[in-house]
Amino acid sequence: MKKIISLLVAAAMCISMVACGGGEEKPSSDGGNNGSETAITLWTYPVGKFGDEATVKGFIEKFNEKHPDIKVKVEFLSYKDGDNQVTAALEAGTAPDLILEGPERLVSNWGVKGKMVDISDLWKDTKDDIDAQSTAIAAACSNNGVYYEYPFCMTTHCMAINYDVFEKADALKYLDLENRTWTTENFVKALEAVKASGLIPETGVVYCGGQGGDQGTRALVTNLYSAQFTNPEHTKYVIDEANGIKGLQLIKDLVEKGTLSYDAGIQAAEELQLFAQGTAAMSFCWNAANEANYASQVNFKPYAMAFPSDDGKPELAGGIWGFGIFDNGDQARIDASKEFIKFICDDEVQGKESVKATGFFPVKASYGNVYEGTADEERMSGYTDMMKYLGDYYNVTPNWTEQRTAWWNMLQSIFSGKSVEEATAAYTSQVNK
Amino acid sequence: MPKGRTLEPRSKALARQETISAYLFLLPSLLFFITFVIVPMFMCIFNSFFDYTSTSFSFTGFDNYIRMWKDPVFIKALKNTVLIVIVSVPAVMIFSLWVASAIYKMNSFALSFYRCIFYLPVVTGSVAVTVVWKWMFNKYTGVFNYVLGTTGVIDQNISWLGDERFAIWCIILILFTTSIGQPIVLYVSALGNVDKTLVEAAQVDGATDMQTFWKIKWPSIMPTTLYVIVITTINSFQCFALIELLTSGGPNDSTQTIMYYIYYVVFKLDQFGYGNAMGVILAIIIAIFSAIQFKFGSQK
Repeated sequence: MKKIISLLVAAAMCISMVACGGGEEKPSSDGGNNGSETAITLWTYPVGKFGDEATVKGFIEKFNEKHPDIKVKVEFLSYKDGDNQVTAALEAGTAPDLILEGPERLVSNWGVKGKMVDISDLWKDTKDDIDAQSTAIAAACSNNGVYYEYPFCMTTHCMAINYDVFEKADALKYLDLENRTWTTENFVKALEAVKASGLIPETGVVYCGGQGGDQGTRALVTNLYSAQFTNPEHTKYVIDEANGIKGLQLIKDLVEKGTLSYDAGIQAAEELQLFAQGTAAMSFCWNAANEANYASQVNFKPYAMAFPSDDGKPELAGGIWGFGIFDNGDQARIDASKEFIKFICDDEVQGKESVKATGFFPVKASYGNVYEGTADEERMSGYTDMMKYLGDYYNVTPNWTEQRTAWWNMLQSIFSGKSVEEATAAYTSQVNK
Repeated sequence: MPKGRTLEPRSKALARQETISAYLFLLPSLLFFITFVIVPMFMCIFNSFFDYTSTSFSFTGFDNYIRMWKDPVFIKALKNTVLIVIVSVPAVMIFSLWVASAIYKMNSFALSFYRCIFYLPVVTGSVAVTVVWKWMFNKYTGVFNYVLGTTGVIDQNISWLGDERFAIWCIILILFTTSIGQPIVLYVSALGNVDKTLVEAAQVDGATDMQTFWKIKWPSIMPTTLYVIVITTINSFQCFALIELLTSGGPNDSTQTIMYYIYYVVFKLDQFGYGNAMGVILAIIIAIFSAIQFKFGSQK
């Protein structure tokens, strides 16, 4: 009797363990097809309101009005650990069908490694429209003629100043407010004026505590003396060239002089907080979405500016966001994913709504000013003016992920006393493998 | 002994039945252990001999192990990890023992109160605790800079987590506060279980408090001490969350630890084989440390 009870208990424990392990929902081998229904999974990084559950689910409901046969399950990623989740999912064979992010991940990271579906067919009817906005977009979304991303919005990353502080410090005279540009020489003068005014604890903080918002520090360094970050072919990082070194040296000199600060303990998010709470007079990580996000926190006028450049012709880093499809080997799910992309990006009504939800600008020239007649029109006009400064999209250069870590480590070593020449040489030798 | 000879097979059968029952009861846990501990462990060792990325899987022998010792970041991470262990393990042990010695004789209300206070950081969750510490270490608005600045100790604010002179010590401090809870609770329990007759006998014989502690209590709580040392060593070696949330290994790799570097190499650089090789080395180092501790800790 005891033996039988023992066996029963052991069997029950085994079954319960197996049952507990089987709790995770997995797509069925037929792609979740239930009759004519197809289930797909979308993972989104927080691109504007695409990180907001209510907004995205609202879009999915609208999509289902036209495509009731396609069920979309959405999961939200963060920039902090989103990449880890995707890496783990790819290794486990549980990658989503759709993902929303930019070319540095969709093309350079996953596309070239054969993880994504060629979606060139989606570009067939719209490439001319997108090219009319900028030919750099199609180049960024493809690799060797194969398209891995279908984009719908873009922006330029810029910087911002505390207008009120600059005005009181009599530093506005160094800025071309109409064109939102300033020369390197005037940038240095403006820093001196703001510092001398004593109105604010920090003029600006060069953050290098991690990779968050590193596009800001890269743009600051490259623009100061019109340096290139990579070669034109996007095969090599060239910040160790003369102009790159000159830009880094100027920043180092400004920090040593005390007119600019650095902090190896913070990333862009903390720097934005310093700006928003009035501790720093400028932010090197600004864009239209950030202005909207921090609107309720600032009690001054944030004024978006291009990065200072020696010739007064800035080249701003761009952000391009769109969808890619992971190759899960199920044609029905791939087709359903394409339908979803077409709806979100190209639908006559939804296309513009999707762009507005990001707080950025359309990649299609035909969409015109999507903010016209809205409450955001005035705020967005300043950023629209800066779209003409969009520079080279170099984020598709090989070793991009390693480069990002090497970049902030390089800045830390420079501010810790290493010579700029030595630090840049170490950086390029690490990332140009 | 005919009687004995007839009973022997029966007792053997009984023993066999009990053994089988015991193994059956162990089976679920064993399956779990094999699936989630033993198999991954062997997979880790196996993969460490391959150039394993998301696009390739080719045998490279000991290349990953050779590369490791030429990798300056790994060496830095190893040194930092050993520093964390060497500083935090004795500190945690001594402080926990001191606190436990001070509170274990208190009345039950006071004892529970102190146990709660010291155990709070353990149950609060590392993310919440770390965020609070991050605020305190903030260069611009943190309480440390405020206090030191207003008392005239510092002229200008310090970026505690952004300065390589301080960052690793900040990490050790936080690790210390989150590590002492469990050892204090264990020591309180162990000290309370020390045989009172032995203590009284020693006191009757004229032993001082220190002599009573070192000659009677210390040997009695040695198993607890050994457990505390081994667990704190392993936790210190596996320090990851604090680094991930506070410094990302910087500045200048001054807070880089092996665990964080493994994470970076695997999840950021996509180099699973190299990460596995580092994992194997970390496991060997922890095993060596633990073996030494067991060797010395179990000596009478």
